[in-house]
Amino acid sequence: MKRERRLAAAAVVVFGALMAPGVVSRLAGAGVKLPNLDLRETKLDNGLRVILAPDHSAPVYAINVTYNVGSRNERPGRTGFAHLFEHMMFQGSENVGKGEHFILLLNNGGEMNGTTNEDRTNYFEELPKNQLDLGLFLESDRMRALAITQANLDNQRSTVQEERRTNLDNQPYGHAYLDIDNLSFDNFAYKHSTIGSMTDLNAASLQDVTDFFRIYYAPSNAVLTLVGDFDPDDALAKVKKYFGPVPAQPAPPKVDLAEEPHYGERSETIYDPLARLPQVILAYHIPPGNTPDNYAAQELSIILGEGESSRLYQHLVKDKQLAAEAETQADSRIGPSLFYVIATPRPGAKVEDLEKGVDEEIEAVAKNGVTAEELAKAKTQLLRRFIDQRRSCLNTANLIGRYAVYFGEPDLINTIVDREDAVTLDQINAAAKKYFVRDQRAVVVTLPAANEASGANGAGE
Amino acid sequence: MSERRGEMMMKSLRVFSKAGHKALQAVMLVALVTAGASVARAQDKSTPLSKVERLNRAPVNKEILRVQLPRPTVVKLKNGLTLVLLENHKLPTISFALRIRPGQLADPRDLPGLASFTADMLREGTERRTSAQIAEEVDSLGASLEASSNFGTSYTTVSASGLVNDAPQILDLMSDVVLRPAFPAAELAQYKQRAEADLEQNLANPGFLAQQAFRRVLYGEPPLSISSPTKESIEKVTTDDLKSFHAQHYCPGNTLLGAAGDFKTEDMRALIEKYFGAWTGAAEPVTAMPPMATPAAAKITLVDRPASVQTYIIGGDRGIKRTDPDYYALVVMNQVLGGGPQSRLFLDLREEHGYTYGTYSGINADLYPGFWRAFAPVRTPVTDGSMTQFVYEFKRINDQSVPDAELDDARRAIVARFALSLEEPSEMLQDWLTTQYFGLPADYWDKYPDHVAAVDPAAVQAAAKKYVDLGHMQWICVGDRKQIQDLLAKYGSVSVVDAEGKPEN
Repeated sequence: MKRERRLAAAAVVVFGALMAPGVVSRLAGAGVKLPNLDLRETKLDNGLRVILAPDHSAPVYAINVTYNVGSRNERPGRTGFAHLFEHMMFQGSENVGKGEHFILLLNNGGEMNGTTNEDRTNYFEELPKNQLDLGLFLESDRMRALAITQANLDNQRSTVQEERRTNLDNQPYGHAYLDIDNLSFDNFAYKHSTIGSMTDLNAASLQDVTDFFRIYYAPSNAVLTLVGDFDPDDALAKVKKYFGPVPAQPAPPKVDLAEEPHYGERSETIYDPLARLPQVILAYHIPPGNTPDNYAAQELSIILGEGESSRLYQHLVKDKQLAAEAETQADSRIGPSLFYVIATPRPGAKVEDLEKGVDEEIEAVAKNGVTAEELAKAKTQLLRRFIDQRRSCLNTANLIGRYAVYFGEPDLINTIVDREDAVTLDQINAAAKKYFVRDQRAVVVTLPAANEASGANGAGE
Repeated sequence: MSERRGEMMMKSLRVFSKAGHKALQAVMLVALVTAGASVARAQDKSTPLSKVERLNRAPVNKEILRVQLPRPTVVKLKNGLTLVLLENHKLPTISFALRIRPGQLADPRDLPGLASFTADMLREGTERRTSAQIAEEVDSLGASLEASSNFGTSYTTVSASGLVNDAPQILDLMSDVVLRPAFPAAELAQYKQRAEADLEQNLANPGFLAQQAFRRVLYGEPPLSISSPTKESIEKVTTDDLKSFHAQHYCPGNTLLGAAGDFKTEDMRALIEKYFGAWTGAAEPVTAMPPMATPAAAKITLVDRPASVQTYIIGGDRGIKRTDPDYYALVVMNQVLGGGPQSRLFLDLREEHGYTYGTYSGINADLYPGFWRAFAPVRTPVTDGSMTQFVYEFKRINDQSVPDAELDDARRAIVARFALSLEEPSEMLQDWLTTQYFGLPADYWDKYPDHVAAVDPAAVQAAAKKYVDLGHMQWICVGDRKQIQDLLAKYGSVSVVDAEGKPEN
């Protein structure tokens, strides 16, 4: 990581250089190259970390501000608050009216959003390069002086509750997505959902908003990333002008994310009045993101359940015709993470048969491992995805913000492919054996309930 | 976006969610503020109004960064295949997109979904490769290869992408599935199970149910009225049906093939010719659609979805063809009304009333008259209030001239956004495929900003009177009948159907 100013060195990195011996990288052989991003990092006096990454390929630029706060920081009785607060950041600040943020960015050719997950909250926008001041002004004004009113809180509480209904309560399987994490974790930080319960959302007060802003929206608890078509000296001067006056605040308290080992499988059945087909979700515990075994888990997920050549698709959807869909996904959190398996039986197939089929596939990987060819294929797919993610300045800025806040390593934007490539066959197979343990997993089965039945809607919230 | 996890587990929550991509033609974002409009409105008593306001203190550069979309090279091969080639050298990747007319519009009446079945089955085996071999080759390259024929779209799409050095292998795979699909019977039998599961999942989704009902009331007759296959058509389709659909409709003269990425145009033309040059088949004329019936009187179709906690509302009507001279006025009017989070509907129903997580409007314009429609999922108890606000906003844009400042914002949003599309070669390629597909002039995107700038308040109002017409508005409400049927009656005559579209009494 370069912390000093450095003029563009036009360095080019060749991927695959760190592949394990014996696994020849098709990509290195093919000479695939990706331009290295030259990151310049500065810290303002108020503690705000600033990362500048010039990229002159299009006349645009992107800003990402990632705050090191997510639902993991919430306390019991206030689930959903970090996300509700994120909505409040669009309700105006000292020099920006309610709704004006949307209006100013989108009517000047921009694209924007804000998102919250368990680990972080981010705010981002991309604009034509002649609007550099606009984006910096808007982000700094709300970091410095958020306008907080009861009417806006009530309005966004309603909006967030609608978000929950739209994405979860009025959709099939909505509660299964919440319950699988609820079962998987004992530590409150990751156990509860980011969207929160309706009761807790109702309980959120104006004082909560003021306190949360003071505690967590400190400049020293955020990373500002700029990617795109700007002169770095000019951009840094503007950053100092807009963000310099944001007052420093003490660092927020840390959250303990440690999860004690589990013994015994945890399971739950949901009778869902909105589902027309059953669904099975499994979750296995895996280590935090940016660790060698988490990278191995990412690759295991591709091999098992991402893409049509994956084992679950070829064996369960095609050969055995048990599933209509069968996919996996490996988390990459700041803390303990999860490896999910989601499968839907084909119409007419029994859920128990599908569960058994999934178990056989997972156990086969744990017992016999994967092949060198499968691992090479997974690495190629990861590389391709990563290249696509690097296409837009906005995505690139979002990734850098994530790497900086999650792992303290913004330069992962240049090196993550090497970390992925460093996973060896022995390591991935040892990881499969270590983490695919029935005793430490959670299972949520959803069954369609007749519409008249008042089926249980899940235990989570 | 960058975090894949959010896609599956839906846990990265955004402040608003919209297919926020920059397709220049349809989904453009834009518009303005409702501040100051103090007309008496029905209010949800639990939520006080929360006023949108503009302070105008932010440093805005008044100049629009005018950009020119780089022009592609357009070549017609001897067999009639039209190539659209766009170089872009930022990253070592390439993407291909085929548009094969007429897509779903050629579905036989008794076999809805045939175009879609044919497209979905392309990758399930060719004369040279099994389904499993295709999947393995695609994933081993880190590539993608997809085919689909969407309902209500006049073409089938086949797209592929990957690392540029793999272009020959990707074209080999793509041409194999397009030119030589085998439609193996055993694969079709398996596909039917997946298609049936897809249908079931769709029927559980309120947004799908709303869109399905909307197309039915709008068009009445297939092919335009349908949104999915039926259980019967999935059961009935045979490999012979697929083979004959393919033989008849997959012809180079009906097809555009676009490529965007890190290549030299001449090399790419030669490479594509190598793989697609031997493709034969006479060009097919554009499918004639039955003449449009006179717009129907306004009515409400209630799709009963018991246990719903929300009502999914659509209001809309028949629209225009993509080449209609009204297109620009409709685009700008749509921006003002519901193009994005800064538009009237969002600022009213969400930011002031808190009725919904998001409400937008959009245009569908194709070779046949498409539609304009607005939509919102709202919690059941505010169905009434939401209908009132929809009617209020529809009336307002009909009856009152759009203020100059608001119109300026809407037009600027459309034009200024072009700069961002320069980052996305596959998006630019889609824009150029659109001009080719609809026979628009080669300088279409150069002149587009001037056409948008020429839309004045009178043109916006005229577009609203024509296409946001309360006298012919087709409303769809997907929700719990018991809770909403009675209150809907005050907005028009209500008919009730179930998820499959069968009338309920």
